[in-house]
Amino acid sequence: MGSFRTGLTKWARKRSIWVFHVNAASCNGCDIEILAALTPRYDAERLGVELVPSPRHADVLLVTGTTNPMMRERLRTVYEQMPEPRHVVAIGACALGGGVMKDCYSAGSGIDSVIPVDLYIPGCPPRPEAIIFGILKLVTGSPPDPVPVGEAIVK
Amino acid sequence: MSSDDLAALASDLGGTLAVGPKSTVLSVPPDKVTEACVGVSSLPGWNHLSTITGIDLGNEIGLLYHFWKGRRFIQVRTQVPKSAPRLKSISTALAAGTLYEAEIQDLLGVAFEGNPFLGKKLLLPDMYPPNAPPPLRKDSDPEKIRKMMDLE
Amino acid sequence: MSDSNQDKGRTEAGAGLMRYSPEGMMPFGPIHPSLKEPEYFKLFLEGEKIVQVEPRIGYVHRGIERAAQERTWVKNIYLFERICGICSFHHSLTYTEGVEALAPFEIPRRAKYLREVIAELERIHSHLLWLGLLGHWAGFDTLFMWIWKDREHILDLEEALTGNRVNKSYTTFGGVRNDLPDGLAAKIQSEMGFIEKRVEYYKSLVQSEETLNVRTKGVGRINQTIAQKLCPVGPLLRCTGIARDVRYEDPYAAYGEVPPQVQTSNDGDIASLMVLRLNEITDSCRMVKEAIEKMPSGPYRVSFPRSVPAGEATTHVEAPRGELFYFVKSGGGSVPERVKVRTSTLANILTAIEMLKGHTLADVPVVLTGMDPCFGCMDRISVVDVDESKEWTVGGETLRNYGIEYYRRK
Repeated sequence: MGSFRTGLTKWARKRSIWVFHVNAASCNGCDIEILAALTPRYDAERLGVELVPSPRHADVLLVTGTTNPMMRERLRTVYEQMPEPRHVVAIGACALGGGVMKDCYSAGSGIDSVIPVDLYIPGCPPRPEAIIFGILKLVTGSPPDPVPVGEAIVK
Repeated sequence: MSSDDLAALASDLGGTLAVGPKSTVLSVPPDKVTEACVGVSSLPGWNHLSTITGIDLGNEIGLLYHFWKGRRFIQVRTQVPKSAPRLKSISTALAAGTLYEAEIQDLLGVAFEGNPFLGKKLLLPDMYPPNAPPPLRKDSDPEKIRKMMDLE
Repeated sequence: MSDSNQDKGRTEAGAGLMRYSPEGMMPFGPIHPSLKEPEYFKLFLEGEKIVQVEPRIGYVHRGIERAAQERTWVKNIYLFERICGICSFHHSLTYTEGVEALAPFEIPRRAKYLREVIAELERIHSHLLWLGLLGHWAGFDTLFMWIWKDREHILDLEEALTGNRVNKSYTTFGGVRNDLPDGLAAKIQSEMGFIEKRVEYYKSLVQSEETLNVRTKGVGRINQTIAQKLCPVGPLLRCTGIARDVRYEDPYAAYGEVPPQVQTSNDGDIASLMVLRLNEITDSCRMVKEAIEKMPSGPYRVSFPRSVPAGEATTHVEAPRGELFYFVKSGGGSVPERVKVRTSTLANILTAIEMLKGHTLADVPVVLTGMDPCFGCMDRISVVDVDESKEWTVGGETLRNYGIEYYRRK
């Protein structure tokens, strides 16, 4: 655990991850857990994860929700405003494939029908630990050492 | 609630009263709805309009205006035929009803004349297929609507 | 951390969204005049003041009421609790109570008490979440961090009792899903003591902290006349001094035996909303402690008839944001014929619009948060400058930075 931590801190000092968050017709459950990941109990900020106010400054796009028709255009626009290299993380069952809203007349079936997704984090909502695990996995390319609760799937 | 006041209101408007376990239902014809709602909300303590419910009843669309006080509801109830789904809006007299009517306009296709959202959408997506029935109508098909809006 | 956000705000300003003129900050646009970007609120400005607001809440519309007509009664519990992740228990509670009212059905007393415990824990977590967010929008991120750290204690309790932090699926027809585990009762009592102490601290903080005061005192003022006309619910109604609360007037769960002390405040502004919600947290702690102490023994769940009899039920509960209303119609079949949901936020939009009028863009984040909306509501706001016939959209974070700068220069 000691070497994991030093390795992680060394890595985190090398770069920080600026994330922009979009709620694409979500119930806010996932959004709260994303915010909770930034608060002291989970403290994703010590790993360099920071929420930015504009997609133009972001490395990673976090998307929650099913993307109802009104949000699809907005989601595409936000994605296009992100400079490369850019990554997209779909958080929560709705963003993965529509979740419990799958057959609702105004709910999409997940965001990968709108923009390309690099990482999927399942859960309804996923725990903050799972969200951090997922983002780290995305950025380092390999799963952080054991321990985290929850799992993330990389495409 | 004074049942005499409500009974008097009912007879003034040519409506009927039915006392249920939770709601007292005042049924009136659609052209008397505004008067009924204003009458109920003027009863002492009854000013709170919880919401307006719309239901597809087959040949008609039912409209239920729920007022709350204490442990009971007073429900002003009416229906409009599907062949002519319109009635006067209560929003000029009772502003609280504005968004509830707008929701029914979107989801059931009833027109509330005088409502500021008439002709505009509050909830439904802009790209909702214009030739599809409003989503809460019995003949609407969510799968078809999804296809028409390009949702897989 | 907020410094770097402001730097980014200035870079955005350079991109043409907002311009800092020599006289001060002035919003200036548009960015993409041809792009119709969806918005929740369209603000009409005359000079600097908001004169009219048009809501357009198509964003989060998914079609849940329609979907409910094709799912069995039990499956709908899981659907409705995902209408909103913050008050999800209240949604499943109202729906469950509605269905239980269709069959004349009495759930065991223990189940009623357990429902009340979770309902009040949810109120505490929701109010704490709100206050933290208010701090964030007002530029007081430290408050946001502290409060959300404390809020985790409540989520731990909810998880220990129900198995999940957010979507708890705790109620079911006939009672609740789990019983109180051994040892949790004592833990709940001690955590309530902890929260009560923290809330006392936050109460003194929000009343003395200048950053918050200047942005909340006298801001977003409404009064009883507006409230009587527009019928808002919850704290937004009670901050005008009108003491209406579903838990007190129309008790459900165990509120008949462990009632709330309905809190009100009189100024009708955001500052009084803060104090009101903090007082509600203290009252909720008291109710949780009392409910745990007086918890009756007996079953926590009884079996519910397989089929739901035909009929109509009208129910409501006092969700953290206010009256949450459900109307359930059964035709006697395996799926509901109609479920109508009126969320507390919908009831408050008209009042929130009144609160916005007369204010400037700088006040928008704080005033909109005052009504405790769902997050997404502030994601995109459209602004129409009536004098200059310009229209543009602005994102939540940009508006937040504008507000912080505006008050810093005042």
